[in-house]
Amino acid sequence: MTVGREIKKKIGSVENTKKVTSAMQMVAASKMRRTQDRMHEARPYSNAIRAVIGHLANSSPEYRHQFMTEREVKRIGFIVVSTDKGQCGGLNTNMFRELLRELKSWEDQGIRADLALIGNKAASFFRSVGGNVVAAINGVGETPEVKSLVGSLKIMLDSFSDETIDRLDVVSNEFISSMQQKPQIRQLLPLVHSEDPDTTHQWDYIYEPEARDLIDGLVQRHIESQVYQAVVENTACEQAARMIAMKNATDNAESMIEELALLYNNARQAAITQEIAEIVGGAAAL
Amino acid sequence: MSNGKIVQVIGAVIDVEFDRELVPQVFDALKVVETGLTLEVQQQLGDGVVRTIALGSSEGLSRGLEVVDTGQPIAIPVGEETLGRIMDVLGTAIDEKGEINARIKQPIHRPAPTYEDQKGGNELLETGVKVIDLMCPFARGGKVGLFGGAGVGKTVTMLELIRNIAVEHSGLSVFAGVGERTREGNSFYYEMLEAGVLDKISLVFGQMNEPPGNRLRVALSGVTLAEQFRDEGRDVLLFIDNIYRYTLAGVEVSALLGRMPSAVGYQPNLAEDMGILQERITTTKTGSITSVQAIYVPADDLTDPSPATTFAHLDSTVTLNRAITDLGIYPAVDPLDSTSRQLDANIVGQEHYSVARNAQEVLQRYQELRDIIAILGMDELTEEDKALVYRARKLQQFFSQPMFVAEQFTGREGQYVSREDTVRSVKAILDGDVDDLPEQAFSMVGDIDSAREKAETMQVEA
Repeated sequence: MTVGREIKKKIGSVENTKKVTSAMQMVAASKMRRTQDRMHEARPYSNAIRAVIGHLANSSPEYRHQFMTEREVKRIGFIVVSTDKGQCGGLNTNMFRELLRELKSWEDQGIRADLALIGNKAASFFRSVGGNVVAAINGVGETPEVKSLVGSLKIMLDSFSDETIDRLDVVSNEFISSMQQKPQIRQLLPLVHSEDPDTTHQWDYIYEPEARDLIDGLVQRHIESQVYQAVVENTACEQAARMIAMKNATDNAESMIEELALLYNNARQAAITQEIAEIVGGAAAL
Repeated sequence: MSNGKIVQVIGAVIDVEFDRELVPQVFDALKVVETGLTLEVQQQLGDGVVRTIALGSSEGLSRGLEVVDTGQPIAIPVGEETLGRIMDVLGTAIDEKGEINARIKQPIHRPAPTYEDQKGGNELLETGVKVIDLMCPFARGGKVGLFGGAGVGKTVTMLELIRNIAVEHSGLSVFAGVGERTREGNSFYYEMLEAGVLDKISLVFGQMNEPPGNRLRVALSGVTLAEQFRDEGRDVLLFIDNIYRYTLAGVEVSALLGRMPSAVGYQPNLAEDMGILQERITTTKTGSITSVQAIYVPADDLTDPSPATTFAHLDSTVTLNRAITDLGIYPAVDPLDSTSRQLDANIVGQEHYSVARNAQEVLQRYQELRDIIAILGMDELTEEDKALVYRARKLQQFFSQPMFVAEQFTGREGQYVSREDTVRSVKAILDGDVDDLPEQAFSMVGDIDSAREKAETMQVEA
């Protein structure tokens, strides 16, 4: 029955794995609600500020911020928003694949990229595939704060200001539903023209106090809010994806246990039959 | 010469009574006068009675029939005259080409060579089969076992080895068919005839349809043929298909001989039976015997007493695995379970050794990761592990190979890959030089260059 014992041991280990995955599934399910709430809460502000910026970009104020002017792209920057932990299915992998495709298409035009990474997974991924990483932060957690993002953001903004990079994109996952998340790459800088129909005509704000101070501050807030939104949304994606991935894992473990149990019963019965045959044979031979 | 009378017939086991003063010796051949049936003495029961096994059908025998003692063991014709001929266990020609007029006859029971006569050797014998040459290289004068359950391709793999070694190898070969299909023996004969090497092969058959006595002794007949060539100072290849049937024939007569069945119903003297046969298959100072033996593994259980007893006698073990045939990979050699004494840096060279060990490590790691992949999916693996898994899968596919003897089944021309090419190709896969090629490009190809070609044609078709 050596075979039987081995199978039994394996069943035990798969069962343990199953316990872990099903626990993780439940934890992810409860966290998913909270992260989704946070994502929804952040949306109105980020939408509003995007609309304002959209207006500004279309308008022709006396002062144009540097972040609003388009220039020829010679080098590009990416802010990559990933998760800190694994066990969330293809969430990160799909995003990285999308990003690598993007990087390749830029590279074909002779344009290199700088990367600012958020999350452990991005850091370890680019450590193994290579890439010019200029900043990396991890441990933003499930309740991300703008404060913790500012550092790496600043590096990217500075290199945009001193024209090291000429374009900045944010790579993250878009939350479509709990069952579906999609990698997305959005341009952050230079600020994009909003395509809202009501902004197609020319109009402008009246600035008080100085347009310069106001717009500088506004642009800063806007960028922070966009990155923050991406991080919060990615966190919601993470929990949803984890819930699904762990559910699948639990199901897989379940069916594996079933198969192994069948195998075990077979081995057990074979051993019993053999033993009986031997005893009967031995008795008959005497 | 003394005469006796049959006193008991139970299947293949026959008791014969002789005069108390003239009891035949163990292993002496007796002949039933009326039918010409040969009996071989196994035990002396006392009171002049001997217990024998029949080397032929025991139907029609009755108590009181007269039996004559030949006074010597079964002797078969040996030497050059047997080349190109087929004989049965008793040395009778069964190819309808008339009697074998050999100058020498040798008894099938002979002692194994002594310690001082034996000689080891480490010269490699290339087989042209990638996975075998890499993982379990054969030695000239060594003993190779081909283990496998029912229908995993033992016989086909063995025939491929025969084709690659015997056809390229200039020496003589002996093929012993032990309890396998008569059809296979037949097709083997014609294949060798076609390849033009029949005049270098002696064949001896005791197939499935024959009584246990024949199957029990035919392996010894084969060994006797090989021994003769060896003692003439030649290098001989001995192919035995299938050693397990030898054990099985022993089981069939064991209880009838009055022995108590032992573990899993095998004869209690299983190890001795195996030792007597295997110890004779050795290389001596005068000549060498390189043997390739197919060994059936009952219920795919390698711990079964029969294959377990055989293991100890071999230099190389090639294990065929059902899980690999299920993937459609032929030859289904298990690279983790197959080993060889020759897989040593001092024999195969450092390069070969490290590539083989590296390949095993990668495959072993893949095996360990399989459970994780099954439960959590590929996405949870690190980038390094993912690359490793892809390489392991390519390696697994790469170990398949179109075989010459299976051309009619696969529709692909057979491929012979030299050992250097194998090592070079596997190294390329392990080093990640061919990470860009799709997995299917590695299936059923020769060396790495033909894998590249296949990838290109796949690209063109797509």
